[in-house]
Amino acid sequence: MPELPSRIDAQPDTVGRDLGRLVLTVVELLRQLMERQALRRVDAGDLPDEKIEALGVGLMRLEEAMVELREHFGLEPGDLNIDLGPLGNLLGPEAGQGR
Amino acid sequence: MSLVWVYAVRDGDADDPPAVSGVDGERPRVVAAGTLGAVVGTVADEGFDEAGLAAAMEDLARLEALARAHHAVVVEAGSAGAVAPVRLATVFRDDEAVVAMLRERADEFEAALDRVRGRREWGVKVYADTRAGGDDSPAPAPGDRPGTAYLLRRKADRDRGAAGRERARAVAESVADAAGTHAVDVRRFALQDARLSGRNEEMVLNATFLVDETQEAEFRAAVTGAGDGATVELTGPWPPFSFATADPP
Repeated sequence: MPELPSRIDAQPDTVGRDLGRLVLTVVELLRQLMERQALRRVDAGDLPDEKIEALGVGLMRLEEAMVELREHFGLEPGDLNIDLGPLGNLLGPEAGQGR
Repeated sequence: MSLVWVYAVRDGDADDPPAVSGVDGERPRVVAAGTLGAVVGTVADEGFDEAGLAAAMEDLARLEALARAHHAVVVEAGSAGAVAPVRLATVFRDDEAVVAMLRERADEFEAALDRVRGRREWGVKVYADTRAGGDDSPAPAPGDRPGTAYLLRRKADRDRGAAGRERARAVAESVADAAGTHAVDVRRFALQDARLSGRNEEMVLNATFLVDETQEAEFRAAVTGAGDGATVELTGPWPPFSFATADPP
């Protein structure tokens, strides 16, 4: 059983990284929701090709930006997958195992 | 002053106490009442009264030591015959209180013992790679449309993941079915996070089966032979923790 921290450390040198992690987690969640929604619309087949291309480029840039930001804060993909206890993980079980 | 810790309830005619040390290093003994016998240990007042146990539940090291000792006594008690394990940290004032509890809940204990007599518990966990599966063919990628290519790639990833999860679920059900044909009862538990088991694969089945001793060979063969392409972990035999554990009063 992993040792549980008895309190949350708010060290000045880690608080920036922790805040970055929290913000990136929220952004990553939104990015994945947008991507899922985009894929559903592609599945439905009611989008014109130009719209699909624009969506794809937007999502691709967003993912590139996420990777850069993550590296800036020294975070792994799995670091953004917050454990919600009985609800499972925020980004699903397969998120953050590298892609 | 001392208290009485209860490990398990079993048939009263077997009165040889388990030959292992208990939670307080004490030698377990048997308190009998009618056809039932409670396997108990005399423990110190200090550390085992209400406040002491509440503190122990917060102290992982102490809790682990208590759980291991409790478990060892229950396993030993169950090696001789049917046993109904009692939950960790069930403590009585004295032997008279244990006898009163045995008499009051005799029907419940006898039903539990009847249910598990001649039967043992086996744990079955199945791990599978939920990402592998489905069609691996690359999506057609128009070179001049990088956004479209990106979306199609993500779509293929998603579909492959869905197919992998679906296949893993089918494997889990096939193992559960194969095991179930040789078991008298089953309990399913929540799947554990992959990080707890230290495996790369994901847990897709976490179940425990109550198996008649005459069926054990068939049960084990069926379980280990099932689960094509997945890792099947069989543990046991255990005392029937999941099928006969008595709640504290």
